[in-house]
Amino acid sequence: MKKIDLKLLKKQAQKELERAGDLRALNEVFKRYLGKRGELTQVLRSLEKLPKSQRLKVSKTANELKNFLRIRFDERLEEIKEKEQGEKEAKEWLDVTAPGQKPQAGSLHPLTQVERKVEEIFQVMGFYVAEGPEMENEWYNFDALNIPKDHPARDMWDTFYLKNGLILRTHTSPVQIRYLEKNQPPLRIIVPGRIFRHEATDASHEFNLYQVEGLMVDREISAANFKAIILEFLKRFLEKEVKIRMRPSFFPFTEPSFEVDMSCTVCGGKGCSTCGKTGWLEMMGAGMVHPAVFKAVGLNPKNWQGFAFGMGMERLAMMKYRVNDIRLFYSGDFKFLDQF
Amino acid sequence: MVFSYNWLQSFFKKKLPSPEKLAEILALQSFEVEEVAKKGKDWVLDIAVLPNRAPDCFSHLGVAREIAVITKSQLQVPKAKGKEEKSLLAKNFVSIEVQDKTACPRYTARVIKGVKVASSPKWLKDRLIACGLRPINNIVDIANYVMLDSGQPLHAFDGEKIAEKKIIVRFAKDREKIVTLDEEKYDLDKSILVIADPKKALAIAGIKGGKLPEIDKKTRVVVLESANFDPHVIRKASQTLHLRTDASLRFEHGLDPNLTELAINRAALLIEQIGGGKVAQGLVDVYPKKSVERQVRLELHYLNSLLGVQVPKKEAKDILVRLGFGVREKGKVLYVTVPTRRLDVSLPEDLIEEIGRIYGYNKVKALFPMASLIPPKRNLNIFWENVVKDILKEARFREIYNYSFLSEEQAKIFGKEYLIEVENPLSVEYKYLRDSLIPNLLVVLKKNQKNFKNIKIFELGKIFKKPKLEKKQLTALIQGDSFFQLKGALDFLFERLGISDAWYDDYQATPEDSPRSIWHPRKVAEVKVNGDEIGFLGELSPKLLDKLEIKERVVAFDIDFEKLETLSSEETIFQPVSRFPAAVRDLAILIPQGTKVVEVLNVINRAGGKLVRDADLFDMYEGEELPEGKKNLAFHIVFQAEDKTLNAKEIDQLQKKIIAALEENPDWQVRGR
Repeated sequence: MKKIDLKLLKKQAQKELERAGDLRALNEVFKRYLGKRGELTQVLRSLEKLPKSQRLKVSKTANELKNFLRIRFDERLEEIKEKEQGEKEAKEWLDVTAPGQKPQAGSLHPLTQVERKVEEIFQVMGFYVAEGPEMENEWYNFDALNIPKDHPARDMWDTFYLKNGLILRTHTSPVQIRYLEKNQPPLRIIVPGRIFRHEATDASHEFNLYQVEGLMVDREISAANFKAIILEFLKRFLEKEVKIRMRPSFFPFTEPSFEVDMSCTVCGGKGCSTCGKTGWLEMMGAGMVHPAVFKAVGLNPKNWQGFAFGMGMERLAMMKYRVNDIRLFYSGDFKFLDQF
Repeated sequence: MVFSYNWLQSFFKKKLPSPEKLAEILALQSFEVEEVAKKGKDWVLDIAVLPNRAPDCFSHLGVAREIAVITKSQLQVPKAKGKEEKSLLAKNFVSIEVQDKTACPRYTARVIKGVKVASSPKWLKDRLIACGLRPINNIVDIANYVMLDSGQPLHAFDGEKIAEKKIIVRFAKDREKIVTLDEEKYDLDKSILVIADPKKALAIAGIKGGKLPEIDKKTRVVVLESANFDPHVIRKASQTLHLRTDASLRFEHGLDPNLTELAINRAALLIEQIGGGKVAQGLVDVYPKKSVERQVRLELHYLNSLLGVQVPKKEAKDILVRLGFGVREKGKVLYVTVPTRRLDVSLPEDLIEEIGRIYGYNKVKALFPMASLIPPKRNLNIFWENVVKDILKEARFREIYNYSFLSEEQAKIFGKEYLIEVENPLSVEYKYLRDSLIPNLLVVLKKNQKNFKNIKIFELGKIFKKPKLEKKQLTALIQGDSFFQLKGALDFLFERLGISDAWYDDYQATPEDSPRSIWHPRKVAEVKVNGDEIGFLGELSPKLLDKLEIKERVVAFDIDFEKLETLSSEETIFQPVSRFPAAVRDLAILIPQGTKVVEVLNVINRAGGKLVRDADLFDMYEGEELPEGKKNLAFHIVFQAEDKTLNAKEIDQLQKKIIAALEENPDWQVRGR
């Protein structure tokens, strides 16, 4: 039996391992040394024939060598795999600036989105969201709101009359009456809804539009309370600090009545084309509930105080999204709708 | 209403703020100023006088009074009354008879003799022109001038043209005619008040003068009228005749009867000064029921409580006094006397507004209300609206808002039977209220077809039907031959709303309905839940689409939202998922074309029982290779038990049982076994 030079074997195997450049070559090396008929395998097998004194010593060295080669082999395997992956990836490329494929998404109308936001803010402040019919009778739309027949005050609302004797509501205020008839104060509600005005359309006027009405009634509700609620609403809705001011106005169903202006969100109050250089934007009509309204629903005006307001939903949307033409909301134009 | 800045300045010794500045302060405390424009050496302010303030502020004097209060300036009111000529007695020139004292609470007249009618001096003309009036002659111009100044409309008659020197205020006779100053003819009726002499109508009361007693170059005797009329009478006449004038505008808002005297005296004085002539002695005045000042009781506690700010008592009183109110204080209550010109003030709230606006709403600080911490109830209508909209958005539909109106053209195509007509439509485009959301959704589809493919849209909104029905409807459209895509979307909607028993039934339009049905007669289903019809799903009638010039097919569902919402439920009940594996076998069957998928499914489910977890139709084919009049259906049948793994033998047996059941029908043939 020839003398086994394990040192040489190690040296050779190591050399060949390093030299193997791909998986196939590496596999060959493995077979040559550690395979069934591999050189080291044979050495290990031949140990039995050695005298006991030698066997222990050689066996230890041979097994150490086997473990060493195994580990080294695994390391080489990883190295080669990594190298090959790297080469493969290096050949691939894609142009990241090429356009992506967008899913065709559904969308909610901007007025739905605005309405939800308005409802959310007021609901947090304890307001119930009420509704009412779009086709109204004159009692709810006018008389109960202290707007008598044959009175010039009715000229403030250009009205669509229907051949069935009803009218299209000109504001959401009739719901104040409908709600107060059925619910005992204290109460706070908002009423989003569609209204109609008999007037020609242009970039800032529509004959078919949305309003949100607000009403809060309790024992001692004041104009200062109105100011706090509406300021909070505007700040949250526009997500910025705003100022408001109240000016005298006239509505038959509120006394005192206010016009509410908000500091221009575009120029911050310095004056620009959006606010007509005034620094202020007209936001809504409002006021303290008129005693005649309480009387119309059978409440004693001495016991209750309240505020009411009404603002245009489109106006809020136009402000929030900087839309410059109110008619776009009803255009059904996807190029407009897809932006929200 | 337009106001001259120079004219307003004439009421003050002190220089007024600049026109722009004036506009700003007026806006914050009185009225909005819509425009400030330079006009020659003057400025014109377009002031939106609030309708309730028309009685005292449709006049330069009224606005000047506001300015005086706001700027704390002294108002200079020009001298109103001149000398009277004792040798002439007004009552010898004219007598007055008021037949209806409600329609005409006061009628005041003055006579000026020996006038010389000529054109007005420049300053007078300038002021009229600044306010948009055309100068005519000195007499007429002075009447107009005093109206713009005081708010009281005046009229000047040629005294020698009044028959029997007698003025009668009466309602017109039916079909009585009058020719007005501008030579227009009007047919009057019994509801219209006229100023007449014993022979003829001389003027339409409070609206316009007649041609007959017109002031002309030869006029020597002027009879001036300064009267007060009932606002409703004037408003109604103005509407009946379609005639609105500066006078009718003021009368229909109401005026203080006490104003007539002040205005007529001022006009007479000006005529004497400018037009010459002598003012006859005596005011001819029919004023049976004198308007007196009202008293309003104001509790200071209420003032502060309603405004939410503590207005110092002294300041509150001072504001009221500056505004011309009389104030008497008793403890914590103010007893306020309201000048008769303030027709708008009758309640404590009215006084609170007066104090509030002059005190300044900017001094009202935001203060959150004290209220009980009760979270609001949920409005279920709105909740379900939101849920439905979100589901459809998820199913990739675009939400649309359309107008609530239909055009004459649409009405002709879709049918008018249920349409509510608008009495005063804006145009033929918006003549009816929509009784369906489909027509306008089709307009949107057509409009976007050029630029977009695979259009899927929906709207949730009110529809209206004769006689007085209003309800919420949910309608969706898909472009193309995509019935099953939309049916899938509707099923998805039902599933998400917790509606499990939706059912699609063949729909046969009744013979009356069919000629103008919007649906394809052979491709429409009635959608039922619990046996109750809630709407329709189908392809729109190709005939209809052709009329609308829509080339592609369109599928729609049209659901009664109010029914849908009551069926919906938020409850989700968890179905245990079987731990045991499922096995899938395919099954193809040849059946007559008219046989419905659901018939086959029923047999499969009945025969397979609980162990058939699902039978999923994955192909439906009709083609040349198949025998005529037949179609092929292919199903994946999923077998699964809850309590064990089904072995191959058990599954084969089940499959055989299903096939046997299917083939009990001699026209059905299971293929490729």
